Amino acid sequence: MYDLSLIETIVAVSTPPGSGGIGVVRLSGPAALKIARALFRPKETKRKFEPGRAVLGSIADPGDGRPFDEGFLLFFKAPRSYTREDVVEFHLHGSPVILEEIVRLAVRQGARPALPGEFTLRAFLTGRLDFLQAEAVDDLIRSTSLAQAKSAFRGVEGALSKKIATLRDGVIALIARIEADIEFPEEGRPASKKDYADKIDRIRSTVDILVRSYEKGKALGEGVTIALVGLANSGKSTLFNDLLEEPRAIVTPFPGTTRDYLREIIRIKDASFLLVDMAGLGRPSSPVEREGVRRGKKIAAESDGLLLLLDGSRRFSAADGALIESYRSRRIILVLNKTDLPEKTSMADVNCRFPDLPLVGISALKGNGLAELRKMIYDLFFHLIPADEIIVFRKRDKLLLEEISVRLLRAKGMILRGRPIELAAEEAREVVALTGYLTGEIRADDILDDIFSRFCIGK
Amino acid sequence: MASESYDVAIVGAGHAGCEAAVAAANMDCSACLITMHFETIAQMSCNPAVGGLAKGHLVREIDALGGIMGLLADETGIHFRLLNRSRGAAVQAPRAQCDKSRYRLEMKERLEKTPGLTIYQGIVTGLIVEKNRIRGVACGDGRVISAKAVILTPGTFLNGLIHIGLSSYPAGRANEPPSVELSEAIQKLGLKTFRLKTGTPMRLDGKTIDWTVFEAQSGDEEPVPFSLRTEKKLENKVFCHLGYTNEKTHRVIRRDLHKSPLYSGRIRGLGPRYCPSIEDKVVKFSHHPRHQFFLEPEGLNTSEIYVNGLSSSLPYDTQRDILRTIPGLKDSKILRPAYAIEYDAVLPTQLLPTLETRPVDGLYLAGQINGTSGYEEAAAQGLMAGINAVLKIRRKNPFILRRDQAYIGVLIDDLISKGVEEPYRLFTSRAEHRLGLRIDNADSRLSAYGREFGLLSERDFVHFQKKEKRLSSVLAYLEKTKVVPERKDRISLKEYLRRPDIGFENVLEYGPMPEALSPEEIRHVVAEVKYEGYLKKQETEVARIMKMDGMRIPAGFNASLIPGLGREAVENVAKHKPKSIGEMKKLPGLTPSDVMNVFIHISTRNVPRGTSRGKMLLKDE
Repeated sequence: MYDLSLIETIVAVSTPPGSGGIGVVRLSGPAALKIARALFRPKETKRKFEPGRAVLGSIADPGDGRPFDEGFLLFFKAPRSYTREDVVEFHLHGSPVILEEIVRLAVRQGARPALPGEFTLRAFLTGRLDFLQAEAVDDLIRSTSLAQAKSAFRGVEGALSKKIATLRDGVIALIARIEADIEFPEEGRPASKKDYADKIDRIRSTVDILVRSYEKGKALGEGVTIALVGLANSGKSTLFNDLLEEPRAIVTPFPGTTRDYLREIIRIKDASFLLVDMAGLGRPSSPVEREGVRRGKKIAAESDGLLLLLDGSRRFSAADGALIESYRSRRIILVLNKTDLPEKTSMADVNCRFPDLPLVGISALKGNGLAELRKMIYDLFFHLIPADEIIVFRKRDKLLLEEISVRLLRAKGMILRGRPIELAAEEAREVVALTGYLTGEIRADDILDDIFSRFCIGK
Repeated sequence: MASESYDVAIVGAGHAGCEAAVAAANMDCSACLITMHFETIAQMSCNPAVGGLAKGHLVREIDALGGIMGLLADETGIHFRLLNRSRGAAVQAPRAQCDKSRYRLEMKERLEKTPGLTIYQGIVTGLIVEKNRIRGVACGDGRVISAKAVILTPGTFLNGLIHIGLSSYPAGRANEPPSVELSEAIQKLGLKTFRLKTGTPMRLDGKTIDWTVFEAQSGDEEPVPFSLRTEKKLENKVFCHLGYTNEKTHRVIRRDLHKSPLYSGRIRGLGPRYCPSIEDKVVKFSHHPRHQFFLEPEGLNTSEIYVNGLSSSLPYDTQRDILRTIPGLKDSKILRPAYAIEYDAVLPTQLLPTLETRPVDGLYLAGQINGTSGYEEAAAQGLMAGINAVLKIRRKNPFILRRDQAYIGVLIDDLISKGVEEPYRLFTSRAEHRLGLRIDNADSRLSAYGREFGLLSERDFVHFQKKEKRLSSVLAYLEKTKVVPERKDRISLKEYLRRPDIGFENVLEYGPMPEALSPEEIRHVVAEVKYEGYLKKQETEVARIMKMDGMRIPAGFNASLIPGLGREAVENVAKHKPKSIGEMKKLPGLTPSDVMNVFIHISTRNVPRGTSRGKMLLKDE
């Protein structure tokens, strides 16, 4: 149970567990400075704890007064701190024993050990961060790729919050328009159905972009799963080892060597991908292979993208064609392998058959074309994300946004089909409430204000 | 000391005062209604109309509670319309043009015929208060009227100041004296006042208008009455006419803007945004090439025409020049000029939900003094103040309507919890539960109270009960009767009626209803069916809110320990010591998020024991 009263001062080791060159203990709350004074002796005894200035000193148990480490104290005075409370940080040597001892001493002085995420919770409770920003802090901390971290940081800065605020303003303007029509029927300036529909469509398009960004966010966060598919002996495992830059998979000249699947993480630029090697999807010749194919199909179905390998040293077969057909609606790159061998199937052959699918020629054995393939893999998932795009990482947020989109669509349908407009207003009001859930604030409606500032009303 | 004594004294016989007086008297109290002038009882100071969106809703609610405004509007109406006929039931409301002088006379007659009610012509100049308890009022003629409760309904008269152009004179209404001493007496009690502004357009001589230029608007073929107790058939007796200003008009206004007391800074009070003067419209919406106005007759036996939409505080000459620019009004004569009026209002956050003032026991305020505008808003408050004054005298529980129960509840809750900055007008969008607050169910929501207080007669109540029975039998019939429309699915008539393009007439194709319904009752049934999903959702929401409101705040609760609460909020909680979240919500200076904060604290407080937090929050426990 979190303490919501903000009466207590909380304390925790803020650097990761284990030894390190430096370790930070953080205190937040009304008694932070008082507690810190009891534990910390500045080197220059008259030194005051000025906000934002590092003070050198030693740390000691007030019980015996004997110092056991030396470091810096940093004081952030409320409200100019992360939690908007008084915050004190001790920057000391990163010994877990020392750091835990400081926490113990602080608790003895009246602090309480912080619960996970409690500093950020306080930043939320004091209004320093809204809900979306608080979530983004967590996303930032947990980022598994630089791309994700960068995007999460934009969330911390409030990029998504601003977007939601704009969305909310748009919906309030829409409601104001509807309400003006309802409240002032004698004013004779009702908006047309098309007017309303256009307004709603504009709002919805931004919502839908955010909803779609979730998939990219997911890719950034959880990593993208890419399956290597192709007929037996098309060189999947060789390519797997190439991309991994180590011989992880057993490679033989015999078809059907890989029966189970292998997963490894590869990094391309600032993103990580989970690469899966598996059995060839051709005609299985044994029960073991059959099981391998079954599992492979399942993995291919669940993966985010596919590298479909074709053997350039063999003639393009009906089985190749069927395989491509069955996956062509997915995110897919056709990889024409074995370009070092005498050509039976050319790039042009494949391109002619499937002009809309991305294609690259490589030699897994010789390592040709790999740089281009890496770039294609990266672009397949990330080229759509401009550096300033706002990304929704949380399922909660995505679901709320989807709900908003559904309600807007419903409101539009009602208006177009001539259903009572006050029901469309109900839907739109619900959208405003949903934006409140997103940001964690449910504000009273500002609809009338909007009516009066936008419309000339007066009877 | 007192020459005569009453249970309730009502100061001011406008729309609030009349409702309050009749309600108190009909609840078997002795009531004295004090008016400056017998001839201006129930004067419609501004437009000659009752109703409109939200306002028509209020009149229906007043009627369901046994108030009188609806009966009078029906009796004296000369042009009736149900607004928003093409929209859903929740946003339809009646509006009527009334014969102003007949409205006054009918009201006076009704007051005179009400047993237990005395009317006195006098000017109240003092309030008699002992130990924070009201004892009566003192009149300028030396008479003292003692009363157990006093209801003040002075309208725009408190320190009224009329502006026409740059000249101004003290008045409560054109050429009527203001109430200066009463305003001082109110402030002496410790009640804070502030300035508001409103205005009224010019009245023209109908004989000098070229009517052929304007588009005539007729009333409804089948007028919908305000009161369910009205039995006579309503008739439209006049037309309204629609006209527009033009660029020439706007040029004249811009030319003379410096002569406007508003734009020259002479008026300090804040005017209503929803009822802007024509100069406001021209300035703020300069891109509009024209603004519409309505020509509305003030009665049947007068040629006075009210120019709805041309409210102004510009000088007479400018008003005349404005009219010269409008075809059809070129030669029209101004009978009464448009003017703006500034007056004192009392900050309504100093009121209890019963409209009793917090500092003075037994003193109630209703109408424009609370910062509202509109006859209907005033009448609704008058009725509630009247009922509550009587209940208080009898030591009975107060009568407070919730926001989900009635527009009256929304109105009063808004006033006392949010306060006002400009004259407050009710809108349907102010209600969170709009779909449930309809003119067709005002009686289902409120008539039981009207009967309980003795404001509705036995006969009227039986009539209402019969109607309720008819409605529920038809709703039950719709639910259980299965049909197969378009030879597809077998569904109930109710599900069929819920479909977007299906109306009650389509349902009737499957056979007659078990009970014959009036058009009004059909609207009710259709609304209940079409809104059903939304209404159910609102019910759950209301239940949740009520549960939250019922949560007890422990004695000794110290609000200053809750972060983020403003100083005013903390002080008010400390001062008024609310016993529940619901009570706390009604306190001034607390925002919804403050309330939510406190709620979270109290509701989490009991869960984790073992920490010292609970004790710290509750200092004295």
